[in-house]
Amino acid sequence: MTDSFLAVVPMWAMLTGEQLSRILESLERNLLTPIPLCFVLGIICTRIHGGIKIPKELYYSIAIFLLMSIGFMGGHELAHEYHAHGVSTIWKPALATLFLGCLTPITSYLVLHYVGRLSIADSAGIAAHYGSTSAVTYAVANSFVEQTQHPANSFLPTLVTILECPGIAIALVLGAALSARERSAKAAATGRPVKESKLGEALYEVITGQSIMLMAGLLVVGFISTMFMDPKGFQPFYDFFQSKGMLFRGVLCIFLLEMGLVAGEKLGDLLKVGPFLVAFGILMPLAHGFLAAYLGHLAGLNLGGCTVFAAIVSSASYIAAPPAVRLTLPEANPTLSITAALAITFPFNIAFGIPIYYEMAKWVGAQ
Amino acid sequence: MQLYPLKLVTVVGEAVIMEDIAEEGVKLGATGYTITEVNGHGSRSARNVASTTGARTLKVEFVAPADVAVGILTHVSHQYFEHYAVIAWLADVQVVRGQNYIGK
Repeated sequence: MTDSFLAVVPMWAMLTGEQLSRILESLERNLLTPIPLCFVLGIICTRIHGGIKIPKELYYSIAIFLLMSIGFMGGHELAHEYHAHGVSTIWKPALATLFLGCLTPITSYLVLHYVGRLSIADSAGIAAHYGSTSAVTYAVANSFVEQTQHPANSFLPTLVTILECPGIAIALVLGAALSARERSAKAAATGRPVKESKLGEALYEVITGQSIMLMAGLLVVGFISTMFMDPKGFQPFYDFFQSKGMLFRGVLCIFLLEMGLVAGEKLGDLLKVGPFLVAFGILMPLAHGFLAAYLGHLAGLNLGGCTVFAAIVSSASYIAAPPAVRLTLPEANPTLSITAALAITFPFNIAFGIPIYYEMAKWVGAQ
Repeated sequence: MQLYPLKLVTVVGEAVIMEDIAEEGVKLGATGYTITEVNGHGSRSARNVASTTGARTLKVEFVAPADVAVGILTHVSHQYFEHYAVIAWLADVQVVRGQNYIGK
Protein backbone atom coordinates (compact mmCIF):
# COMPACT_ATOMS: atom_id res chain seq x y z
CA MET A 1 0.00 0.00 0.00
CA THR A 2 3.00 2.26 0.17
CA ASP A 3 3.27 1.76 -3.59
CA SER A 4 2.22 5.27 -4.41
CA PHE A 5 4.55 6.54 -1.73
CA LEU A 6 7.43 4.86 -3.49
CA ALA A 7 6.25 5.65 -7.00
CA VAL A 8 7.97 9.02 -6.99
CA VAL A 9 11.35 7.47 -6.27
CA PRO A 10 11.88 5.92 -9.74
CA MET A 11 10.51 9.09 -11.23
CA TRP A 12 13.15 11.22 -9.58
CA ALA A 13 15.79 8.70 -10.57
CA MET A 14 14.79 9.09 -14.20
CA LEU A 15 15.12 12.85 -14.22
CA THR A 16 17.57 14.15 -16.75
CA GLY A 17 19.58 17.31 -16.32
CA GLU A 18 17.33 19.08 -18.80
CA GLN A 19 14.17 18.13 -16.89
CA LEU A 20 15.73 19.24 -13.65
CA SER A 21 16.57 22.63 -15.04
CA ARG A 22 13.00 22.93 -16.36
CA ILE A 23 11.66 22.18 -12.88
CA LEU A 24 13.97 24.80 -11.38
CA GLU A 25 12.81 27.29 -13.98
CA SER A 26 9.14 26.58 -13.12
CA LEU A 27 9.93 26.94 -9.44
CA GLU A 28 11.50 30.30 -10.04
CA ARG A 29 8.59 31.41 -12.21
CA ASN A 30 6.18 30.44 -9.45
CA LEU A 31 8.09 31.65 -6.42
CA LEU A 32 8.68 35.15 -7.67
CA THR A 33 4.99 35.99 -8.13
CA PRO A 34 2.86 38.03 -5.71
CA ILE A 35 0.79 35.15 -4.29
CA PRO A 36 3.61 33.05 -2.76
CA LEU A 37 5.57 36.20 -1.95
CA CYS A 38 2.65 37.52 0.14
CA PHE A 39 2.59 34.19 1.96
CA VAL A 40 6.31 34.50 2.70
CA LEU A 41 5.79 38.07 3.86
CA GLY A 42 3.18 36.82 6.33
CA ILE A 43 5.58 34.20 7.71
CA ILE A 44 8.43 36.71 8.06
CA CYS A 45 6.13 39.21 9.74
CA THR A 46 5.06 36.71 12.40
CA ARG A 47 8.61 35.53 13.01
CA ILE A 48 9.91 39.06 13.63
CA HIS A 49 6.75 40.02 15.58
CA GLY A 50 5.81 42.54 12.91
CA GLY A 51 2.62 44.52 12.92
CA ILE A 52 0.54 43.14 10.04
CA LYS A 53 -2.92 42.22 11.21
CA ILE A 54 -5.72 41.12 8.91
CA PRO A 55 -9.09 41.73 10.59
CA LYS A 56 -10.96 38.49 11.12
CA GLU A 57 -14.07 39.81 9.42
CA LEU A 58 -12.08 40.74 6.31
CA TYR A 59 -10.55 37.27 6.26
CA TYR A 60 -14.01 35.68 6.48
CA SER A 61 -15.35 38.01 3.79
CA ILE A 62 -12.50 37.13 1.45
CA ALA A 63 -13.00 33.42 2.10
CA ILE A 64 -16.68 33.82 1.19
CA PHE A 65 -15.83 35.71 -2.00
CA LEU A 66 -13.20 33.16 -3.06
CA LEU A 67 -15.48 30.18 -2.45
CA MET A 68 -18.44 31.86 -4.17
CA SER A 69 -16.29 32.87 -7.09
CA ILE A 70 -14.79 29.39 -7.53
CA GLY A 71 -18.26 27.84 -7.34
CA PHE A 72 -19.95 30.35 -9.62
CA MET A 73 -17.29 30.29 -12.34
CA GLY A 74 -17.16 26.51 -12.05
CA GLY A 75 -20.91 26.25 -12.55
CA HIS A 76 -20.78 28.64 -15.49
CA GLU A 77 -18.00 26.75 -17.25
CA LEU A 78 -19.64 23.44 -16.42
CA ALA A 79 -22.80 24.62 -18.18
CA HIS A 80 -20.76 25.44 -21.31
CA GLU A 81 -18.98 22.11 -21.14
CA TYR A 82 -22.30 20.32 -20.70
CA HIS A 83 -23.80 22.25 -23.58
CA ALA A 84 -20.91 21.33 -25.88
CA HIS A 85 -20.12 17.73 -24.89
CA GLY A 86 -22.81 16.49 -22.49
CA VAL A 87 -21.30 14.47 -19.68
CA SER A 88 -18.81 12.65 -21.94
CA THR A 89 -15.76 14.70 -20.91
CA ILE A 90 -16.67 15.00 -17.24
CA TRP A 91 -17.57 11.56 -15.99
CA LYS A 92 -14.07 10.06 -16.17
CA PRO A 93 -12.32 12.86 -14.23
CA ALA A 94 -15.22 12.82 -11.73
CA LEU A 95 -14.75 9.10 -11.22
CA ALA A 96 -10.98 9.53 -10.86
CA THR A 97 -11.62 12.23 -8.25
CA LEU A 98 -13.95 10.02 -6.27
CA PHE A 99 -11.45 7.15 -6.45
CA LEU A 100 -8.56 9.32 -5.27
CA GLY A 101 -10.76 10.90 -2.60
CA CYS A 102 -11.27 7.42 -1.18
CA LEU A 103 -7.71 6.21 -1.74
CA THR A 104 -5.66 9.09 -0.30
CA PRO A 105 -6.99 8.85 3.27
CA ILE A 106 -6.27 5.11 3.26
CA THR A 107 -2.70 5.41 1.93
CA SER A 108 -2.08 8.27 4.36
CA TYR A 109 -3.44 6.25 7.26
CA LEU A 110 -1.33 3.20 6.40
CA VAL A 111 1.88 5.21 6.06
CA LEU A 112 1.24 7.15 9.26
CA HIS A 113 0.27 4.15 11.33
CA TYR A 114 2.67 1.50 10.03
CA VAL A 115 5.67 3.53 8.88
CA GLY A 116 5.38 6.44 11.29
CA ARG A 117 4.10 4.32 14.20
CA LEU A 118 1.55 6.97 15.15
CA SER A 119 -1.49 5.94 17.17
CA ILE A 120 -4.73 4.93 15.45
CA ALA A 121 -6.45 8.18 16.36
CA ASP A 122 -3.53 10.39 15.31
CA SER A 123 -3.09 8.51 12.04
CA ALA A 124 -6.79 8.67 11.19
CA GLY A 125 -6.97 12.33 12.23
CA ILE A 126 -4.10 13.34 9.96
CA ALA A 127 -5.41 11.08 7.18
CA ALA A 128 -8.74 12.96 7.30
CA HIS A 129 -6.89 16.21 6.64
CA TYR A 130 -4.94 14.73 3.71
CA GLY A 131 -7.96 12.93 2.26
CA SER A 132 -9.81 16.20 1.88
CA THR A 133 -8.64 19.20 -0.10
CA SER A 134 -7.77 22.87 0.25
CA ALA A 135 -9.75 25.32 -1.88
CA VAL A 136 -7.00 27.92 -1.53
CA THR A 137 -4.43 25.52 -2.98
CA TYR A 138 -6.86 25.09 -5.86
CA ALA A 139 -7.05 28.85 -6.33
CA VAL A 140 -3.28 29.26 -6.31
CA ALA A 141 -2.73 26.30 -8.67
CA ASN A 142 -5.34 27.69 -11.03
CA SER A 143 -3.63 31.10 -11.08
CA PHE A 144 -0.31 29.34 -11.78
CA VAL A 145 -1.56 27.41 -14.82
CA GLU A 146 -3.28 30.52 -16.16
CA GLN A 147 0.02 32.35 -15.94
CA THR A 148 1.75 29.57 -17.84
CA GLN A 149 -0.85 29.91 -20.64
CA HIS A 150 -2.22 26.42 -20.02
CA PRO A 151 -5.60 27.05 -18.37
CA ALA A 152 -7.13 24.02 -16.70
CA ASN A 153 -10.26 22.26 -17.93
CA SER A 154 -13.31 24.29 -17.03
CA PHE A 155 -14.89 21.72 -14.72
CA LEU A 156 -12.07 21.55 -12.17
CA PRO A 157 -14.11 23.38 -9.47
CA THR A 158 -16.65 20.54 -9.70
CA LEU A 159 -13.84 18.12 -8.89
CA VAL A 160 -12.83 20.24 -5.88
CA THR A 161 -16.31 19.90 -4.40
CA ILE A 162 -16.38 16.15 -5.11
CA LEU A 163 -13.02 15.77 -3.39
CA GLU A 164 -13.88 17.66 -0.22
CA CYS A 165 -16.06 15.12 1.61
CA PRO A 166 -15.22 11.44 1.00
CA GLY A 167 -11.65 11.68 2.34
CA ILE A 168 -12.73 13.09 5.69
CA ALA A 169 -15.61 10.62 5.94
CA ILE A 170 -13.47 7.55 5.20
CA ALA A 171 -10.67 8.50 7.59
CA LEU A 172 -13.09 9.30 10.40
CA VAL A 173 -15.13 6.12 9.97
CA LEU A 174 -11.88 4.14 9.86
CA GLY A 175 -10.50 5.87 12.94
CA ALA A 176 -13.75 5.63 14.89
CA ALA A 177 -14.15 1.93 14.08
CA LEU A 178 -10.55 1.02 14.90
CA SER A 179 -10.39 2.99 18.12
CA ALA A 180 -13.86 1.86 19.33
CA ARG A 181 -12.37 -1.33 20.78
CA GLU A 182 -9.67 0.63 22.61
CA ARG A 183 -12.28 2.97 24.01
CA SER A 184 -14.63 0.31 25.29
CA ALA A 185 -11.69 -1.52 26.92
CA LYS A 186 -10.73 1.72 28.62
CA ALA A 187 -14.32 2.37 29.70
CA ALA A 188 -14.49 -1.12 31.23
CA ALA A 189 -11.21 -0.54 33.07
CA THR A 190 -12.21 2.83 34.53
CA GLY A 191 -15.84 1.87 35.16
CA ARG A 192 -17.13 4.95 33.36
CA PRO A 193 -19.68 4.73 30.56
CA VAL A 194 -18.34 4.73 26.97
CA LYS A 195 -18.42 8.25 25.62
CA GLU A 196 -20.93 8.67 22.84
CA SER A 197 -19.44 8.93 19.37
CA LYS A 198 -20.15 12.13 17.49
CA LEU A 199 -19.33 10.68 14.07
CA GLY A 200 -22.75 11.39 12.57
CA GLU A 201 -22.79 14.93 13.83
CA ALA A 202 -19.24 15.55 12.58
CA LEU A 203 -19.99 14.23 9.08
CA TYR A 204 -23.16 16.31 8.90
CA GLU A 205 -21.13 19.38 9.80
CA VAL A 206 -18.55 18.65 7.10
CA ILE A 207 -21.21 18.28 4.41
CA THR A 208 -23.20 21.32 5.52
CA GLY A 209 -20.11 23.38 6.42
CA GLN A 210 -19.45 26.75 4.87
CA SER A 211 -16.96 25.69 2.21
CA ILE A 212 -19.13 22.95 0.69
CA MET A 213 -22.37 24.92 0.95
CA LEU A 214 -20.89 28.00 -0.72
CA MET A 215 -18.87 26.25 -3.37
CA ALA A 216 -21.40 23.55 -4.30
CA GLY A 217 -24.29 25.98 -3.89
CA LEU A 218 -22.77 28.61 -6.18
CA LEU A 219 -21.82 25.87 -8.64
CA VAL A 220 -25.51 25.05 -8.98
CA VAL A 221 -26.42 28.75 -9.11
CA GLY A 222 -23.81 29.38 -11.83
CA PHE A 223 -24.90 26.32 -13.79
CA ILE A 224 -28.63 27.09 -13.68
CA SER A 225 -28.25 30.78 -14.44
CA THR A 226 -25.94 30.10 -17.39
CA MET A 227 -28.41 27.58 -18.80
CA PHE A 228 -31.54 29.67 -18.38
CA MET A 229 -30.59 33.34 -18.30
CA ASP A 230 -30.05 35.44 -21.39
CA PRO A 231 -26.30 36.17 -21.76
CA LYS A 232 -26.76 39.92 -21.54
CA GLY A 233 -28.46 39.70 -18.16
CA PHE A 234 -25.87 37.21 -16.99
CA GLN A 235 -22.90 39.41 -17.94
CA PRO A 236 -22.78 41.64 -14.78
CA PHE A 237 -22.59 38.58 -12.52
CA TYR A 238 -19.90 37.08 -14.70
CA ASP A 239 -17.96 40.35 -14.64
CA PHE A 240 -18.17 40.56 -10.85
CA PHE A 241 -16.97 37.05 -10.12
CA GLN A 242 -14.53 36.74 -13.02
CA SER A 243 -13.30 40.36 -13.25
CA LYS A 244 -10.57 39.12 -15.60
CA GLY A 245 -9.05 37.42 -12.57
CA MET A 246 -8.24 40.84 -11.11
CA LEU A 247 -10.39 40.85 -7.99
CA PHE A 248 -9.81 37.15 -7.38
CA ARG A 249 -6.03 37.31 -7.52
CA GLY A 250 -5.89 40.51 -5.53
CA VAL A 251 -7.89 39.22 -2.62
CA LEU A 252 -6.04 35.91 -2.88
CA CYS A 253 -2.88 37.88 -2.02
CA ILE A 254 -4.55 39.24 1.13
CA PHE A 255 -5.76 35.75 2.00
CA LEU A 256 -2.30 34.26 1.55
CA LEU A 257 -0.82 37.02 3.69
CA GLU A 258 -3.12 35.93 6.53
CA MET A 259 -2.28 32.27 5.85
CA GLY A 260 1.39 33.22 6.13
CA LEU A 261 0.77 34.93 9.46
CA VAL A 262 -0.90 31.79 10.82
CA ALA A 263 1.65 29.40 9.30
CA GLY A 264 4.41 31.51 10.88
CA GLU A 265 2.86 30.88 14.30
CA LYS A 266 2.76 27.17 13.58
CA LEU A 267 6.40 26.96 12.45
CA GLY A 268 7.44 26.69 16.07
CA ASP A 269 5.45 23.46 16.30
CA LEU A 270 7.59 21.85 13.58
CA LEU A 271 10.16 20.86 16.19
CA LYS A 272 7.44 19.25 18.29
CA VAL A 273 6.03 17.08 15.52
CA GLY A 274 9.36 15.51 14.57
CA PRO A 275 11.13 14.65 11.31
CA PHE A 276 8.76 11.86 10.25
CA LEU A 277 5.77 14.16 9.95
CA VAL A 278 7.82 16.79 8.12
CA ALA A 279 8.90 14.14 5.59
CA PHE A 280 5.32 12.86 5.40
CA GLY A 281 3.98 16.36 4.75
CA ILE A 282 6.23 16.68 1.71
CA LEU A 283 6.55 13.15 0.29
CA MET A 284 2.91 12.07 0.65
CA PRO A 285 1.63 15.05 -1.39
CA LEU A 286 4.28 14.33 -4.04
CA ALA A 287 3.16 10.69 -4.24
CA HIS A 288 -0.53 11.57 -4.31
CA GLY A 289 0.18 14.39 -6.76
CA PHE A 290 2.01 12.07 -9.14
CA LEU A 291 -0.80 9.52 -8.99
CA ALA A 292 -3.36 12.27 -9.59
CA ALA A 293 -1.43 13.73 -12.53
CA TYR A 294 -1.24 10.27 -14.06
CA LEU A 295 -4.89 9.33 -13.48
CA GLY A 296 -5.98 12.82 -14.50
CA HIS A 297 -4.13 12.38 -17.79
CA LEU A 298 -5.76 8.97 -18.33
CA ALA A 299 -9.15 10.54 -17.60
CA GLY A 300 -8.53 13.12 -20.32
CA LEU A 301 -7.54 16.26 -18.42
CA ASN A 302 -5.30 18.77 -20.19
CA LEU A 303 -1.89 19.94 -18.93
CA GLY A 304 -3.30 22.71 -16.75
CA GLY A 305 -6.07 20.38 -15.57
CA CYS A 306 -3.63 17.64 -14.54
CA THR A 307 -1.50 20.18 -12.67
CA VAL A 308 -4.44 21.61 -10.75
CA PHE A 309 -5.88 18.14 -10.18
CA ALA A 310 -2.57 16.95 -8.70
CA ALA A 311 -2.46 20.05 -6.49
CA ILE A 312 -5.96 19.52 -5.08
CA VAL A 313 -5.54 15.78 -4.54
CA SER A 314 -2.22 16.28 -2.77
CA SER A 315 -3.38 19.23 -0.66
CA ALA A 316 -4.61 18.87 2.90
CA SER A 317 -7.71 20.46 4.37
CA TYR A 318 -7.28 22.81 7.30
CA ILE A 319 -10.75 24.34 7.44
CA ALA A 320 -13.31 21.54 7.15
CA ALA A 321 -11.28 18.69 8.64
CA PRO A 322 -10.03 20.00 12.04
CA PRO A 323 -13.41 20.44 13.78
CA ALA A 324 -14.69 17.15 12.36
CA VAL A 325 -11.63 15.29 13.62
CA ARG A 326 -11.84 17.04 16.97
CA LEU A 327 -15.43 15.87 17.45
CA THR A 328 -14.96 12.31 16.27
CA LEU A 329 -11.45 11.45 17.45
CA PRO A 330 -10.88 13.66 20.49
CA GLU A 331 -7.83 11.63 21.53
CA ALA A 332 -5.98 12.65 18.35
CA ASN A 333 -3.50 15.46 18.94
CA PRO A 334 -4.63 18.45 16.84
CA THR A 335 -1.15 20.00 16.84
CA LEU A 336 0.12 17.15 14.65
CA SER A 337 -2.53 17.38 11.95
CA ILE A 338 -2.77 21.17 11.80
CA THR A 339 1.00 21.63 11.75
CA ALA A 340 1.36 19.03 8.99
CA ALA A 341 -1.43 20.50 6.88
CA LEU A 342 -0.78 24.18 7.43
CA ALA A 343 2.91 24.57 8.25
CA ILE A 344 4.33 21.83 6.01
CA THR A 345 2.11 20.72 3.13
CA PHE A 346 0.41 24.03 2.34
CA PRO A 347 3.63 26.08 2.05
CA PHE A 348 5.33 23.22 0.21
CA ASN A 349 2.53 23.04 -2.35
CA ILE A 350 2.35 26.80 -2.83
CA ALA A 351 6.08 27.25 -3.28
CA PHE A 352 7.35 23.99 -4.80
CA GLY A 353 4.52 21.49 -5.22
CA ILE A 354 2.51 23.23 -7.91
CA PRO A 355 5.42 23.73 -10.37
CA ILE A 356 6.56 20.17 -9.67
CA TYR A 357 3.05 18.85 -10.44
CA TYR A 358 3.16 20.89 -13.63
CA GLU A 359 6.35 19.10 -14.67
CA MET A 360 4.91 15.75 -13.55
CA ALA A 361 1.84 16.39 -15.71
CA LYS A 362 4.08 17.16 -18.68
CA TRP A 363 6.14 14.05 -17.93
CA VAL A 364 3.11 11.74 -17.99
CA GLY A 365 2.21 13.22 -21.37
CA ALA A 366 -0.57 15.70 -20.61
CA GLN A 367 -0.93 18.50 -23.14
CA MET B 1 -35.29 44.20 45.95
CA GLN B 2 -35.01 40.51 46.58
CA LEU B 3 -31.84 38.70 45.59
CA TYR B 4 -31.69 34.92 45.19
CA PRO B 5 -28.56 32.94 46.07
CA LEU B 6 -27.72 30.81 43.02
CA LYS B 7 -24.65 29.31 41.35
CA LEU B 8 -22.85 30.59 38.26
CA VAL B 9 -21.24 27.80 36.24
CA THR B 10 -18.60 28.99 33.77
CA VAL B 11 -17.07 26.69 31.19
CA VAL B 12 -14.30 27.94 28.86
CA GLY B 13 -12.99 25.73 26.09
CA GLU B 14 -12.43 25.03 22.40
CA ALA B 15 -15.29 26.13 20.19
CA VAL B 16 -15.99 22.75 18.67
CA ILE B 17 -17.54 21.35 21.86
CA MET B 18 -18.98 24.46 23.50
CA GLU B 19 -22.35 24.54 21.77
CA ASP B 20 -22.86 20.91 22.72
CA ILE B 21 -22.00 21.75 26.32
CA ALA B 22 -24.51 24.61 26.30
CA GLU B 23 -27.29 22.35 25.06
CA GLU B 24 -26.35 19.54 27.43
CA GLY B 25 -26.47 22.05 30.31
CA VAL B 26 -30.04 22.89 29.37
CA LYS B 27 -30.91 19.19 29.28
CA LEU B 28 -29.43 18.86 32.76
CA GLY B 29 -31.80 21.53 34.09
CA ALA B 30 -30.35 24.97 33.34
CA THR B 31 -32.98 27.37 32.03
CA GLY B 32 -30.61 29.07 29.62
CA TYR B 33 -27.03 30.07 28.90
CA THR B 34 -24.80 32.82 27.52
CA ILE B 35 -22.00 32.17 25.01
CA THR B 36 -19.15 34.63 24.44
CA GLU B 37 -16.05 34.39 22.27
CA VAL B 38 -12.90 34.86 24.31
CA ASN B 39 -9.12 34.82 23.86
CA GLY B 40 -6.43 33.50 26.09
CA HIS B 41 -3.60 31.16 26.77
CA GLY B 42 -3.65 27.83 28.55
CA SER B 43 -1.66 24.66 29.06
CA ARG B 44 -3.30 22.89 26.10
CA SER B 45 -4.07 25.66 23.69
CA ALA B 46 -1.57 27.99 22.16
CA ARG B 47 -2.38 31.64 21.86
CA ASN B 48 -5.56 31.86 19.93
CA VAL B 49 -4.29 32.43 16.42
CA ALA B 50 -6.88 31.34 14.48
CA SER B 51 -9.63 32.36 12.50
CA THR B 52 -8.02 30.27 9.80
CA THR B 53 -8.16 26.93 11.50
CA GLY B 54 -11.39 27.70 13.33
CA ALA B 55 -9.58 27.21 16.65
CA ARG B 56 -11.70 29.68 18.56
CA THR B 57 -12.28 29.68 22.31
CA LEU B 58 -15.76 30.14 23.73
CA LYS B 59 -17.13 30.74 27.21
CA VAL B 60 -20.50 29.33 28.26
CA GLU B 61 -22.20 30.55 31.43
CA PHE B 62 -25.22 29.11 33.25
CA VAL B 63 -27.04 30.47 36.29
CA ALA B 64 -28.66 27.58 38.12
CA PRO B 65 -29.49 26.12 41.52
CA ALA B 66 -26.67 24.23 43.26
CA ASP B 67 -27.77 20.69 42.32
CA VAL B 68 -28.12 21.53 38.62
CA ALA B 69 -24.81 23.44 38.68
CA VAL B 70 -22.95 20.49 40.17
CA GLY B 71 -24.66 18.18 37.68
CA ILE B 72 -23.36 20.29 34.78
CA LEU B 73 -19.81 20.41 36.17
CA THR B 74 -19.79 16.65 36.72
CA HIS B 75 -21.04 16.00 33.20
CA VAL B 76 -18.48 18.36 31.64
CA SER B 77 -15.60 16.89 33.61
CA HIS B 78 -16.52 13.29 32.74
CA GLN B 79 -17.28 13.90 29.11
CA TYR B 80 -14.71 16.47 28.04
CA PHE B 81 -11.80 16.95 30.45
CA GLU B 82 -9.72 14.06 29.20
CA HIS B 83 -9.23 15.11 25.61
CA TYR B 84 -10.25 18.72 25.20
CA ALA B 85 -8.85 22.06 26.29
CA VAL B 86 -11.57 23.02 28.82
CA ILE B 87 -11.70 24.73 32.18
CA ALA B 88 -14.84 24.94 34.35
CA TRP B 89 -15.64 26.62 37.64
CA LEU B 90 -18.48 27.45 39.99
CA ALA B 91 -19.20 30.70 41.83
CA ASP B 92 -21.83 31.95 44.24
CA VAL B 93 -23.96 34.73 42.82
CA GLN B 94 -26.86 36.83 44.02
CA VAL B 95 -29.39 37.07 41.24
CA VAL B 96 -32.19 39.56 40.64
CA ARG B 97 -35.41 37.83 39.54
CA GLY B 98 -33.66 34.62 40.57
CA GLN B 99 -36.86 32.60 40.52
CA ASN B 100 -36.57 32.58 36.70
CA TYR B 101 -33.47 30.38 36.92
CA ILE B 102 -34.79 27.80 39.30
CA GLY B 103 -36.28 25.86 36.42
CA LYS B 104 -39.15 23.58 35.98
